[in-house]
Amino acid sequence: MRGVVYYIQRDFLRWVRGSVAVFSALVMPAAWLIFVGLALPIRFTDNYLDFITPGILVMTMLSAGLSGGTLLMFDKILGFLNKFLALPSPREDILFGKILFVSIRGLIQSTVILIIAVLIGASVYNPLQYGLTYLILFLFGMLIAAFATTIALYLEDHDSFAAVNTMIAMPLFFTSSALMPYNVMPVWLRTLAELNPLSYAIDAIRAVNTGVLPFVQIAALIALCLIVTVVSVHVFRRVTV
Amino acid sequence: MNAIETRDLTRYYGTLCAVNGLTLSVDHEVFALLGPNGSGKTTTVLMLTTLLHPTSGSAEVCGHDIVRDGKQVRRCLSYVPQDMAVDIKLTGRENALLFARLYGVADANDRVDEVIGVMGLTDRADDLVKTYSGGMRRRLELAQALVHEPAVLFLDEPTLGLDVAARSTIWEHIRALKKDGMTVFVTTHYMDEADRYCDRVGIISRGTLVALGGPSALKARLGKDVITAQIDGDFKDPRIDGITFFALANNEASFLAENGREALPLLADALTKSGVKVRSLALREPTLDDAFLHAVGTPEEPAGFDQTKFRTMLRRRK
Repeated sequence: MRGVVYYIQRDFLRWVRGSVAVFSALVMPAAWLIFVGLALPIRFTDNYLDFITPGILVMTMLSAGLSGGTLLMFDKILGFLNKFLALPSPREDILFGKILFVSIRGLIQSTVILIIAVLIGASVYNPLQYGLTYLILFLFGMLIAAFATTIALYLEDHDSFAAVNTMIAMPLFFTSSALMPYNVMPVWLRTLAELNPLSYAIDAIRAVNTGVLPFVQIAALIALCLIVTVVSVHVFRRVTV
Repeated sequence: MNAIETRDLTRYYGTLCAVNGLTLSVDHEVFALLGPNGSGKTTTVLMLTTLLHPTSGSAEVCGHDIVRDGKQVRRCLSYVPQDMAVDIKLTGRENALLFARLYGVADANDRVDEVIGVMGLTDRADDLVKTYSGGMRRRLELAQALVHEPAVLFLDEPTLGLDVAARSTIWEHIRALKKDGMTVFVTTHYMDEADRYCDRVGIISRGTLVALGGPSALKARLGKDVITAQIDGDFKDPRIDGITFFALANNEASFLAENGREALPLLADALTKSGVKVRSLALREPTLDDAFLHAVGTPEEPAGFDQTKFRTMLRRRK
Protein backbone atom coordinates (compact mmCIF):
# COMPACT_ATOMS: atom_id res chain seq x y z
CA MET A 1 0.00 0.00 0.00
CA ARG A 2 3.06 2.29 0.01
CA GLY A 3 2.27 3.15 -3.59
CA VAL A 4 -0.96 4.81 -2.41
CA VAL A 5 1.06 7.23 -0.28
CA TYR A 6 3.37 8.12 -3.18
CA TYR A 7 0.48 8.72 -5.56
CA ILE A 8 -1.20 10.93 -2.93
CA GLN A 9 2.04 12.88 -2.46
CA ARG A 10 2.27 13.46 -6.21
CA ASP A 11 -1.31 14.75 -6.46
CA PHE A 12 -0.87 16.86 -3.33
CA LEU A 13 2.25 18.59 -4.68
CA ARG A 14 0.52 19.26 -7.99
CA TRP A 15 -2.47 20.69 -6.13
CA VAL A 16 -0.66 23.09 -3.80
CA ARG A 17 1.43 24.37 -6.69
CA GLY A 18 -1.68 24.91 -8.78
CA SER A 19 -2.24 28.39 -7.23
CA VAL A 20 -5.69 29.32 -8.65
CA ALA A 21 -7.26 25.89 -8.19
CA VAL A 22 -6.54 25.90 -4.45
CA PHE A 23 -8.95 28.82 -3.98
CA SER A 24 -11.37 28.44 -6.86
CA ALA A 25 -12.81 25.21 -5.43
CA LEU A 26 -13.80 27.14 -2.30
CA VAL A 27 -15.62 29.99 -4.03
CA MET A 28 -18.81 28.11 -4.83
CA PRO A 29 -19.52 26.65 -1.36
CA ALA A 30 -18.42 29.89 0.34
CA ALA A 31 -20.80 31.87 -1.88
CA TRP A 32 -23.68 29.54 -1.02
CA LEU A 33 -22.90 29.81 2.64
CA ILE A 34 -22.74 33.60 2.65
CA PHE A 35 -25.31 34.61 0.05
CA VAL A 36 -27.90 31.94 0.72
CA GLY A 37 -27.09 31.07 4.31
CA LEU A 38 -27.06 34.65 5.49
CA ALA A 39 -29.25 36.48 3.03
CA LEU A 40 -32.22 34.23 2.27
CA PRO A 41 -35.19 35.72 4.14
CA ILE A 42 -36.52 32.27 5.05
CA ARG A 43 -36.62 30.94 8.56
CA PHE A 44 -37.32 27.20 8.51
CA THR A 45 -35.46 26.94 11.78
CA ASP A 46 -34.21 29.31 14.47
CA ASN A 47 -30.79 29.63 12.85
CA TYR A 48 -30.81 29.01 9.09
CA LEU A 49 -27.03 29.26 8.92
CA ASP A 50 -26.73 26.31 11.33
CA PHE A 51 -29.24 24.45 9.20
CA ILE A 52 -27.57 25.05 5.86
CA THR A 53 -23.92 24.57 6.97
CA PRO A 54 -24.03 20.72 6.94
CA GLY A 55 -25.54 20.94 3.44
CA ILE A 56 -22.72 23.21 2.22
CA LEU A 57 -20.08 20.96 3.79
CA VAL A 58 -21.52 17.98 1.97
CA MET A 59 -21.67 20.05 -1.23
CA THR A 60 -17.95 20.80 -0.80
CA MET A 61 -17.26 17.09 -0.47
CA LEU A 62 -19.46 16.37 -3.49
CA SER A 63 -17.44 18.56 -5.82
CA ALA A 64 -14.19 17.37 -4.23
CA GLY A 65 -15.18 13.74 -4.82
CA LEU A 66 -16.26 14.38 -8.41
CA SER A 67 -12.88 16.01 -9.10
CA GLY A 68 -11.32 12.56 -8.52
CA GLY A 69 -12.83 11.54 -11.84
CA THR A 70 -11.39 14.63 -13.55
CA LEU A 71 -7.91 13.90 -12.19
CA LEU A 72 -8.03 10.28 -13.28
CA MET A 73 -9.33 11.32 -16.70
CA PHE A 74 -6.40 13.68 -17.20
CA ASP A 75 -3.92 11.02 -16.10
CA LYS A 76 -5.56 8.76 -18.65
CA ILE A 77 -5.52 11.11 -21.63
CA LEU A 78 -2.07 12.58 -20.92
CA GLY A 79 -0.38 9.17 -20.77
CA PHE A 80 0.43 9.09 -17.04
CA LEU A 81 -1.94 6.20 -16.41
CA ASN A 82 -0.15 3.98 -18.92
CA LYS A 83 3.20 4.79 -17.36
CA PHE A 84 1.89 3.95 -13.90
CA LEU A 85 0.20 0.77 -15.11
CA ALA A 86 3.51 -0.48 -16.53
CA LEU A 87 5.04 -0.33 -13.04
CA PRO A 88 5.37 -3.47 -10.88
CA SER A 89 3.69 -1.78 -7.87
CA PRO A 90 0.04 -2.87 -7.36
CA ARG A 91 -2.13 -1.24 -10.00
CA GLU A 92 -5.08 -0.66 -7.66
CA ASP A 93 -2.86 1.74 -5.69
CA ILE A 94 -3.42 4.26 -8.50
CA LEU A 95 -7.18 4.12 -7.92
CA PHE A 96 -7.03 4.13 -4.10
CA GLY A 97 -4.51 6.96 -4.21
CA LYS A 98 -6.93 9.08 -6.26
CA ILE A 99 -9.96 8.30 -4.10
CA LEU A 100 -8.11 9.00 -0.86
CA PHE A 101 -6.41 12.13 -2.19
CA VAL A 102 -9.63 13.85 -3.27
CA SER A 103 -11.35 12.82 -0.03
CA ILE A 104 -8.54 14.29 2.07
CA ARG A 105 -8.46 17.39 -0.11
CA GLY A 106 -12.24 17.67 0.40
CA LEU A 107 -11.77 17.58 4.17
CA ILE A 108 -9.22 20.40 3.97
CA GLN A 109 -11.63 22.46 1.89
CA SER A 110 -14.48 21.63 4.27
CA THR A 111 -12.39 22.91 7.17
CA VAL A 112 -12.07 26.29 5.48
CA ILE A 113 -15.83 26.37 4.86
CA LEU A 114 -16.47 25.40 8.49
CA ILE A 115 -14.26 28.25 9.70
CA ILE A 116 -16.06 30.73 7.45
CA ALA A 117 -19.39 29.45 8.78
CA VAL A 118 -18.34 29.97 12.40
CA LEU A 119 -16.94 33.42 11.58
CA ILE A 120 -20.26 34.56 10.11
CA GLY A 121 -22.27 33.26 13.04
CA ALA A 122 -22.77 29.47 12.97
CA SER A 123 -22.78 27.66 16.31
CA VAL A 124 -19.64 26.05 17.65
CA TYR A 125 -19.88 22.37 18.67
CA ASN A 126 -17.71 20.13 20.81
CA PRO A 127 -14.67 18.21 19.46
CA LEU A 128 -16.49 14.86 19.44
CA GLN A 129 -19.22 16.34 17.27
CA TYR A 130 -16.65 17.74 14.84
CA GLY A 131 -14.86 14.39 14.82
CA LEU A 132 -18.04 12.60 13.82
CA THR A 133 -18.81 15.27 11.23
CA TYR A 134 -15.41 14.68 9.64
CA LEU A 135 -15.95 10.92 9.66
CA ILE A 136 -19.27 11.34 7.87
CA LEU A 137 -17.79 13.79 5.35
CA PHE A 138 -14.87 11.45 4.69
CA LEU A 139 -17.12 8.44 4.06
CA PHE A 140 -19.28 10.53 1.76
CA GLY A 141 -16.22 11.85 -0.11
CA MET A 142 -14.91 8.32 -0.65
CA LEU A 143 -18.31 7.24 -1.95
CA ILE A 144 -18.50 10.06 -4.50
CA ALA A 145 -14.83 9.73 -5.51
CA ALA A 146 -15.15 5.98 -6.10
CA PHE A 147 -18.26 6.64 -8.18
CA ALA A 148 -16.61 9.45 -10.21
CA THR A 149 -13.45 7.45 -10.94
CA THR A 150 -15.56 4.54 -12.16
CA ILE A 151 -17.35 6.85 -14.60
CA ALA A 152 -14.03 8.37 -15.71
CA LEU A 153 -12.62 4.91 -16.44
CA TYR A 154 -15.56 4.17 -18.71
CA LEU A 155 -15.55 7.45 -20.64
CA GLU A 156 -13.14 8.34 -23.43
CA ASP A 157 -12.47 12.05 -23.10
CA HIS A 158 -12.62 14.90 -20.65
CA ASP A 159 -15.55 16.69 -22.29
CA SER A 160 -17.90 13.80 -21.70
CA PHE A 161 -16.76 13.50 -18.12
CA ALA A 162 -17.34 17.21 -17.54
CA ALA A 163 -20.84 16.80 -19.00
CA VAL A 164 -21.63 13.91 -16.65
CA ASN A 165 -20.16 15.94 -13.81
CA THR A 166 -22.50 18.92 -14.28
CA MET A 167 -25.40 16.61 -15.02
CA ILE A 168 -24.97 14.95 -11.63
CA ALA A 169 -23.84 17.70 -9.26
CA MET A 170 -26.65 20.26 -9.29
CA PRO A 171 -29.66 17.87 -9.39
CA LEU A 172 -28.16 15.83 -6.54
CA PHE A 173 -27.72 18.94 -4.44
CA PHE A 174 -31.19 20.35 -5.05
CA THR A 175 -32.96 17.04 -4.44
CA SER A 176 -31.24 16.60 -1.08
CA SER A 177 -32.18 17.91 2.35
CA ALA A 178 -29.44 20.57 2.08
CA LEU A 179 -31.64 23.66 1.73
CA MET A 180 -34.90 22.87 3.52
CA PRO A 181 -36.27 20.49 6.13
CA TYR A 182 -38.40 17.53 4.99
CA ASN A 183 -41.60 18.95 6.49
CA VAL A 184 -41.72 21.95 4.16
CA MET A 185 -40.86 19.95 0.99
CA PRO A 186 -43.52 18.97 -1.53
CA VAL A 187 -44.24 15.23 -1.32
CA TRP A 188 -42.45 14.35 -4.57
CA LEU A 189 -39.32 16.19 -3.49
CA ARG A 190 -39.43 14.57 -0.07
CA THR A 191 -39.39 11.11 -1.65
CA LEU A 192 -36.38 12.04 -3.79
CA ALA A 193 -34.59 13.65 -0.87
CA GLU A 194 -35.05 10.59 1.33
CA LEU A 195 -33.43 8.38 -1.31
CA ASN A 196 -30.58 10.80 -2.06
CA PRO A 197 -27.24 9.75 -0.51
CA LEU A 198 -26.41 13.43 0.01
CA SER A 199 -29.29 13.55 2.50
CA TYR A 200 -27.82 10.62 4.45
CA ALA A 201 -24.66 12.60 5.04
CA ILE A 202 -26.45 15.93 5.68
CA ASP A 203 -29.01 14.40 8.06
CA ALA A 204 -26.25 12.54 9.86
CA ILE A 205 -24.28 15.75 10.48
CA ARG A 206 -27.43 17.55 11.66
CA ALA A 207 -28.15 14.67 14.04
CA VAL A 208 -24.60 14.85 15.38
CA ASN A 209 -25.03 18.58 15.95
CA THR A 210 -28.16 17.98 18.05
CA GLY A 211 -26.33 15.36 20.09
CA VAL A 212 -27.73 12.21 18.46
CA LEU A 213 -25.49 9.45 17.08
CA PRO A 214 -26.81 8.70 13.56
CA PHE A 215 -26.12 4.95 13.38
CA VAL A 216 -28.41 4.26 10.44
CA GLN A 217 -27.03 6.95 8.15
CA ILE A 218 -23.39 6.12 8.95
CA ALA A 219 -24.02 2.41 8.37
CA ALA A 220 -25.75 3.23 5.08
CA LEU A 221 -22.81 5.41 3.99
CA ILE A 222 -20.28 2.70 4.89
CA ALA A 223 -22.27 0.08 3.00
CA LEU A 224 -22.67 2.30 -0.10
CA CYS A 225 -19.01 3.27 0.04
CA LEU A 226 -17.92 -0.38 0.14
CA ILE A 227 -20.21 -1.40 -2.71
CA VAL A 228 -19.16 1.45 -5.01
CA THR A 229 -15.45 0.94 -4.22
CA VAL A 230 -15.70 -2.77 -5.06
CA VAL A 231 -17.42 -1.87 -8.34
CA SER A 232 -14.75 0.75 -9.07
CA VAL A 233 -11.89 -1.72 -8.45
CA HIS A 234 -13.65 -4.27 -10.63
CA VAL A 235 -14.09 -1.79 -13.49
CA PHE A 236 -10.50 -0.59 -13.06
CA ARG A 237 -9.17 -4.16 -13.37
CA ARG A 238 -11.32 -4.78 -16.42
CA VAL A 239 -10.42 -1.67 -18.41
CA THR A 240 -6.71 -1.84 -17.60
CA VAL A 241 -6.47 -5.61 -18.36
CA MET B 1 16.62 -17.04 -22.96
CA ASN B 2 15.97 -14.00 -25.09
CA ALA B 3 14.88 -10.74 -23.51
CA ILE B 4 11.84 -10.55 -25.78
CA GLU B 5 10.25 -13.53 -27.46
CA THR B 6 6.94 -13.35 -29.31
CA ARG B 7 5.09 -16.19 -31.02
CA ASP B 8 2.30 -15.45 -33.44
CA LEU B 9 1.32 -12.39 -31.39
CA THR B 10 -2.00 -11.08 -32.71
CA ARG B 11 -4.33 -8.30 -31.66
CA TYR B 12 -7.71 -7.34 -33.09
CA TYR B 13 -9.66 -4.16 -32.31
CA GLY B 14 -13.13 -5.37 -33.22
CA THR B 15 -12.67 -6.59 -36.77
CA LEU B 16 -9.56 -4.49 -37.42
CA CYS B 17 -6.38 -6.53 -37.20
CA ALA B 18 -3.77 -4.23 -35.60
CA VAL B 19 -1.02 -6.81 -35.17
CA ASN B 20 -1.02 -9.98 -37.21
CA GLY B 21 0.98 -13.08 -36.21
CA LEU B 22 4.13 -11.32 -35.02
CA THR B 23 6.98 -13.74 -34.29
CA LEU B 24 10.16 -12.09 -33.08
CA SER B 25 13.19 -12.58 -30.84
CA VAL B 26 15.09 -9.59 -29.48
CA ASP B 27 18.06 -9.80 -27.16
CA HIS B 28 20.88 -7.47 -26.07
CA GLU B 29 20.53 -5.07 -28.95
CA VAL B 30 18.83 -1.88 -30.00
CA PHE B 31 15.88 -3.12 -31.98
CA ALA B 32 13.61 -0.77 -33.92
CA LEU B 33 10.12 -1.59 -35.03
CA LEU B 34 9.66 0.55 -38.11
CA GLY B 35 6.43 1.39 -39.76
CA PRO B 36 4.11 4.19 -40.86
CA ASN B 37 1.50 5.63 -38.48
CA GLY B 38 -1.17 3.08 -37.67
CA SER B 39 0.89 0.06 -38.68
CA GLY B 40 0.66 -1.63 -35.25
CA LYS B 41 3.88 -0.46 -33.59
CA THR B 42 2.30 1.00 -30.48
CA THR B 43 -0.13 -1.91 -30.15
CA THR B 44 2.84 -4.28 -30.13
CA VAL B 45 4.56 -2.28 -27.40
CA LEU B 46 1.35 -2.07 -25.35
CA MET B 47 1.06 -5.85 -25.45
CA LEU B 48 4.70 -6.42 -24.51
CA THR B 49 4.42 -3.98 -21.59
CA THR B 50 1.28 -5.81 -20.32
CA LEU B 51 -1.02 -2.84 -20.96
CA LEU B 52 -3.07 -4.79 -23.50
CA HIS B 53 -3.86 -8.47 -23.82
CA PRO B 54 -3.18 -10.17 -27.15
CA THR B 55 -6.16 -11.64 -28.97
CA SER B 56 -4.09 -14.73 -29.68
CA GLY B 57 -0.49 -15.87 -29.67
CA SER B 58 1.93 -15.36 -26.80
CA ALA B 59 5.00 -13.41 -25.77
CA GLU B 60 7.59 -13.53 -23.04
CA VAL B 61 9.71 -10.74 -21.62
CA CYS B 62 12.75 -11.99 -19.66
CA GLY B 63 11.17 -15.43 -19.65
CA HIS B 64 7.87 -14.29 -18.08
CA ASP B 65 4.60 -14.68 -19.93
CA ILE B 66 3.01 -11.27 -20.60
CA VAL B 67 -0.52 -12.49 -19.79
CA ARG B 68 0.07 -14.89 -16.87
CA ASP B 69 3.01 -13.22 -15.09
CA GLY B 70 2.23 -9.55 -15.71
CA LYS B 71 3.81 -8.40 -12.47
CA GLN B 72 7.12 -10.24 -13.12
CA VAL B 73 7.19 -8.79 -16.62
CA ARG B 74 6.69 -5.26 -15.28
CA ARG B 75 9.47 -5.82 -12.75
CA CYS B 76 12.09 -6.24 -15.48
CA LEU B 77 10.99 -3.58 -17.98
CA SER B 78 10.54 0.15 -18.26
CA TYR B 79 8.18 1.83 -20.66
CA VAL B 80 8.31 5.36 -22.03
CA PRO B 81 5.16 6.13 -24.05
CA GLN B 82 5.16 8.74 -26.79
CA ASP B 83 2.97 11.24 -24.90
CA MET B 84 5.80 12.91 -22.89
CA ALA B 85 3.99 12.43 -19.59
CA VAL B 86 6.03 14.24 -16.94
CA ASP B 87 4.44 16.38 -14.22
CA ILE B 88 5.22 19.97 -15.13
CA LYS B 89 4.39 21.27 -11.65
CA LEU B 90 6.97 18.95 -10.10
CA THR B 91 10.73 19.35 -10.30
CA GLY B 92 12.82 16.95 -12.34
CA ARG B 93 14.06 15.34 -9.15
CA GLU B 94 10.53 14.90 -7.77
CA ASN B 95 9.41 13.29 -11.02
CA ALA B 96 12.27 10.78 -10.90
CA LEU B 97 11.90 10.19 -7.16
CA LEU B 98 8.23 9.25 -7.60
CA PHE B 99 9.22 6.44 -9.94
CA ALA B 100 12.16 5.31 -7.78
CA ARG B 101 9.78 4.98 -4.82
CA LEU B 102 7.07 3.26 -6.81
CA TYR B 103 9.64 0.76 -8.08
CA GLY B 104 10.75 0.22 -4.49
CA VAL B 105 14.37 1.15 -5.24
CA ALA B 106 16.49 0.72 -2.10
CA ASP B 107 18.46 3.99 -1.98
CA ALA B 108 15.94 6.07 -3.89
CA ASN B 109 17.63 9.44 -3.35
CA ASP B 110 21.10 8.28 -4.38
CA ARG B 111 19.79 6.41 -7.37
CA VAL B 112 17.83 9.45 -8.52
CA ASP B 113 20.93 11.64 -8.25
CA GLU B 114 22.79 9.07 -10.33
CA VAL B 115 20.28 8.76 -13.21
CA ILE B 116 19.72 12.49 -13.31
CA GLY B 117 23.48 12.87 -13.63
CA VAL B 118 23.67 10.27 -16.40
CA MET B 119 20.99 12.15 -18.34
CA GLY B 120 22.85 15.43 -17.85
CA LEU B 121 20.08 17.11 -15.84
CA THR B 122 21.94 17.69 -12.55
CA ASP B 123 22.06 21.49 -12.98
CA ARG B 124 18.32 21.72 -13.53
CA ALA B 125 17.18 18.88 -11.25
CA ASP B 126 15.43 21.19 -8.78
CA ASP B 127 13.70 23.38 -11.36
CA LEU B 128 10.07 22.80 -12.20
CA VAL B 129 9.66 20.68 -15.33
CA LYS B 130 7.49 23.50 -16.70
CA THR B 131 10.77 25.26 -17.55
CA TYR B 132 12.31 22.25 -19.35
CA SER B 133 12.70 21.97 -23.13
CA GLY B 134 11.27 19.02 -25.05
CA GLY B 135 14.61 17.27 -25.19
CA MET B 136 15.12 17.69 -21.46
CA ARG B 137 11.66 16.33 -20.71
CA ARG B 138 12.44 13.27 -22.80
CA ARG B 139 15.73 12.79 -20.99
CA LEU B 140 13.89 13.11 -17.69
CA GLU B 141 11.54 10.35 -18.84
CA LEU B 142 14.56 8.19 -19.62
CA ALA B 143 15.88 8.93 -16.13
CA GLN B 144 12.53 7.84 -14.68
CA ALA B 145 12.68 4.65 -16.70
CA LEU B 146 16.23 3.86 -15.59
CA VAL B 147 15.84 4.28 -11.82
CA HIS B 148 15.28 0.56 -11.26
CA GLU B 149 17.87 -0.68 -13.79
CA PRO B 150 15.49 -2.55 -16.10
CA ALA B 151 16.65 -5.42 -18.30
CA VAL B 152 14.42 -4.29 -21.16
CA LEU B 153 13.54 -0.73 -22.10
CA PHE B 154 10.57 0.05 -24.34
CA LEU B 155 10.58 3.44 -26.04
CA ASP B 156 7.62 4.46 -28.16
CA GLU B 157 8.72 7.12 -30.69
CA PRO B 158 11.47 8.47 -28.40
CA THR B 159 12.51 11.30 -30.72
CA LEU B 160 9.09 12.46 -31.90
CA GLY B 161 8.88 16.25 -31.94
CA LEU B 162 12.48 16.88 -30.91
CA ASP B 163 15.05 18.99 -32.76
CA VAL B 164 18.09 17.46 -34.43
CA ALA B 165 20.51 18.01 -31.55
CA ALA B 166 18.09 16.61 -28.96
CA ARG B 167 17.48 13.59 -31.17
CA SER B 168 21.09 12.63 -31.45
CA THR B 169 21.54 13.10 -27.67
CA ILE B 170 18.66 10.70 -27.01
CA TRP B 171 20.13 8.17 -29.42
CA GLU B 172 23.57 8.42 -27.85
CA HIS B 173 22.01 7.64 -24.49
CA ILE B 174 20.19 4.66 -26.00
CA ARG B 175 23.43 3.33 -27.49
CA ALA B 176 25.17 3.73 -24.13
CA LEU B 177 22.42 1.76 -22.39
CA LYS B 178 22.83 -1.08 -24.85
CA LYS B 179 26.54 -1.11 -24.15
CA ASP B 180 25.70 -1.63 -20.47
CA GLY B 181 23.83 -4.79 -21.45
CA MET B 182 20.28 -3.48 -21.73
CA THR B 183 17.89 -4.60 -24.44
CA VAL B 184 16.22 -1.58 -26.02
CA PHE B 185 13.05 -1.93 -28.06
CA VAL B 186 12.22 1.24 -29.97
CA THR B 187 9.41 2.15 -32.32
CA THR B 188 9.94 4.91 -34.83
CA HIS B 189 9.02 6.07 -38.27
CA TYR B 190 12.31 7.88 -38.81
CA MET B 191 14.23 5.57 -41.16
CA ASP B 192 17.50 7.49 -41.03
CA GLU B 193 17.64 7.23 -37.24
CA ALA B 194 16.91 3.51 -37.30
CA ASP B 195 19.59 3.08 -39.95
CA ARG B 196 22.21 4.92 -37.98
CA TYR B 197 21.58 3.80 -34.41
CA CYS B 198 19.84 0.40 -34.41
CA ASP B 199 21.38 -3.07 -34.54
CA ARG B 200 18.36 -4.64 -36.17
CA VAL B 201 15.09 -3.38 -37.55
CA GLY B 202 11.75 -5.02 -38.17
CA ILE B 203 9.52 -3.40 -40.75
CA ILE B 204 5.84 -3.66 -39.95
CA SER B 205 3.05 -2.81 -42.38
CA ARG B 206 -0.64 -3.14 -41.62
CA GLY B 207 0.19 -5.26 -38.58
CA THR B 208 2.38 -7.74 -40.42
CA LEU B 209 6.15 -8.04 -40.13
CA VAL B 210 7.39 -7.73 -43.73
CA ALA B 211 11.16 -7.53 -43.28
CA LEU B 212 13.63 -8.21 -40.51
CA GLY B 213 17.39 -7.80 -40.27
CA GLY B 214 20.27 -5.40 -39.80
CA PRO B 215 19.89 -2.08 -41.64
CA SER B 216 22.87 -2.80 -43.91
CA ALA B 217 21.63 -6.33 -44.68
CA LEU B 218 18.21 -4.97 -45.60
CA LYS B 219 19.79 -2.38 -47.91
CA ALA B 220 22.18 -4.92 -49.42
CA ARG B 221 19.26 -7.20 -50.22
CA LEU B 222 17.99 -4.54 -52.63
CA GLY B 223 20.99 -4.80 -54.97
CA LYS B 224 23.25 -2.06 -56.20
CA ASP B 225 21.68 1.22 -57.20
CA VAL B 226 18.47 3.07 -56.65
CA ILE B 227 17.11 5.44 -59.28
CA THR B 228 14.33 7.85 -58.43
CA ALA B 229 12.43 9.72 -61.11
CA GLN B 230 10.32 12.83 -60.58
CA ILE B 231 7.54 12.54 -63.11
CA ASP B 232 4.33 14.15 -64.33
CA GLY B 233 1.54 12.13 -65.86
CA ASP B 234 0.15 8.60 -65.58
CA PHE B 235 2.96 6.27 -64.65
CA LYS B 236 3.22 2.76 -66.11
CA ASP B 237 6.07 0.36 -65.32
CA PRO B 238 8.25 0.52 -68.51
CA ARG B 239 9.55 -3.07 -67.84
CA ILE B 240 13.21 -2.84 -68.87
CA ASP B 241 15.61 -5.75 -68.27
CA GLY B 242 17.82 -5.10 -65.27
CA ILE B 243 15.62 -2.29 -63.93
CA THR B 244 12.95 -3.16 -61.38
CA PHE B 245 10.24 -0.73 -60.41
CA PHE B 246 9.35 -0.93 -56.71
CA ALA B 247 7.52 2.10 -55.47
CA LEU B 248 5.55 5.15 -56.53
CA ALA B 249 4.81 7.93 -54.06
CA ASN B 250 4.01 11.62 -54.57
CA ASN B 251 4.93 11.49 -58.28
CA GLU B 252 8.27 9.93 -57.45
CA ALA B 253 8.91 6.51 -58.99
CA SER B 254 11.71 4.38 -57.53
CA PHE B 255 13.66 1.71 -59.40
CA LEU B 256 16.41 -0.76 -58.58
CA ALA B 257 19.14 -1.25 -61.15
CA GLU B 258 22.15 -3.56 -61.40
CA ASN B 259 24.15 -0.84 -63.14
CA GLY B 260 22.72 2.57 -62.39
CA ARG B 261 24.81 4.64 -64.81
CA GLU B 262 23.80 2.58 -67.80
CA ALA B 263 20.21 2.35 -66.67
CA LEU B 264 19.68 6.12 -66.45
CA PRO B 265 19.41 6.95 -70.22
CA LEU B 266 17.41 3.76 -70.90
CA LEU B 267 14.94 4.66 -68.22
CA ALA B 268 14.61 8.28 -69.35
CA ASP B 269 13.84 7.17 -72.92
CA ALA B 270 11.37 4.51 -71.88
CA LEU B 271 9.50 6.82 -69.55
CA THR B 272 9.24 9.60 -72.15
CA LYS B 273 8.02 7.08 -74.73
CA SER B 274 5.28 5.91 -72.39
CA GLY B 275 3.95 9.48 -72.36
CA VAL B 276 5.28 10.55 -68.97
CA LYS B 277 7.15 13.80 -68.52
CA VAL B 278 10.41 13.21 -66.62
CA ARG B 279 11.32 16.24 -64.53
CA SER B 280 14.44 14.81 -62.91
CA LEU B 281 16.35 11.60 -62.38
CA ALA B 282 18.58 10.76 -59.44
CA LEU B 283 20.99 7.93 -58.87
CA ARG B 284 22.02 6.93 -55.34
CA GLU B 285 22.86 4.12 -52.98
CA PRO B 286 19.96 2.31 -51.34
CA THR B 287 18.74 3.77 -48.03
CA LEU B 288 16.55 2.17 -45.40
CA ASP B 289 13.69 4.19 -46.91
CA ASP B 290 14.09 2.16 -50.10
CA ALA B 291 14.22 -1.08 -48.14
CA PHE B 292 11.06 0.06 -46.41
CA LEU B 293 9.22 1.00 -49.60
CA HIS B 294 10.39 -2.22 -51.20
CA ALA B 295 9.01 -4.26 -48.32
CA VAL B 296 5.77 -2.36 -47.93
CA GLY B 297 5.15 -1.87 -51.67
CA THR B 298 3.24 1.40 -51.75
CA PRO B 299 3.12 3.61 -48.69
CA GLU B 300 0.32 3.16 -46.19
CA GLU B 301 -1.75 6.15 -47.31
CA PRO B 302 -1.35 6.26 -51.08
CA ALA B 303 -4.56 8.27 -51.47
CA GLY B 304 -3.35 10.91 -49.03
CA PHE B 305 -2.33 13.51 -51.55
CA ASP B 306 -2.54 13.15 -55.30
CA GLN B 307 -1.08 16.17 -57.01
CA THR B 308 -2.60 15.52 -60.42
CA LYS B 309 -6.08 15.12 -59.01
CA PHE B 310 -5.55 18.17 -56.84
CA ARG B 311 -4.61 20.30 -59.87
CA THR B 312 -7.57 19.09 -61.89
CA MET B 313 -9.80 19.89 -59.00
CA LEU B 314 -8.38 23.40 -58.70
CA ARG B 315 -8.85 24.01 -62.42
CA ARG B 316 -12.48 22.93 -62.25
CA ARG B 317 -13.18 25.33 -59.45
CA LYS B 318 -12.12 28.38 -61.50
